[in-house]
Amino acid sequence: MPVDQDASSPDVREGLARNAVTFPDGIPGFEACRRFVLLAADSSAPLQRLEAIEGPEAAFLGIDPRLVLAGYRCRLTEADLRALGADSETTLLWFAIISAEADGTLVANLRAPIAINPQRMIGRQVLPDDGLYPIRHVLGGKA
Amino acid sequence: MLVFTRRRHEAIRIGDRIEVRVLRIGRDGVRIGITAPPDVPVHREEIYDEIRAANRAAVAPQGDLSALAERLRRP
Repeated sequence: MPVDQDASSPDVREGLARNAVTFPDGIPGFEACRRFVLLAADSSAPLQRLEAIEGPEAAFLGIDPRLVLAGYRCRLTEADLRALGADSETTLLWFAIISAEADGTLVANLRAPIAINPQRMIGRQVLPDDGLYPIRHVLGGKA
Repeated sequence: MLVFTRRRHEAIRIGDRIEVRVLRIGRDGVRIGITAPPDVPVHREEIYDEIRAANRAAVAPQGDLSALAERLRRP
């Protein structure tokens, strides 16, 4: 985890199901999607792909927000930690959702990153109230 | 929707674990205190809506990501 392969073939998909990350609350806008896999390939590094393997189709591109902004940190509430089955010592994976806007600008949502506890394979989109980071953080590199 | 009239310092209880209390009433806003157990997420509605809209707009393209990744690797 993340899984280093292309998710297109059925065999691969079956393997992925064993590497599924459960999102007990879904993701806002995709509340019915509870199981996702995180895919990474060398050719697309540092991009990763978070893909629903159950329920409505959903797939997100993302990047570790700490690669976008040095010193990035997201404070987790007690509720977040409990939902992730984590404590303050747990090493979590972080995934900031990237979107491509109509003009090709790539933006990363640094405000509400996805945190994954790889030990428990539980994920959650964190919605901090402090608003330290923007929902639309413009990434470098024009199309 | 249930509708209540509450005065300052008065509260509403939802189940036995959630309390919603009116702390201050101003001209344009009401300051509300929520007491809820840690497993109940509490958010301002507009924040949740904003994140949901951003997520819906972000559904990823299929196919080869290497061109996109190349853009991000460029300084």
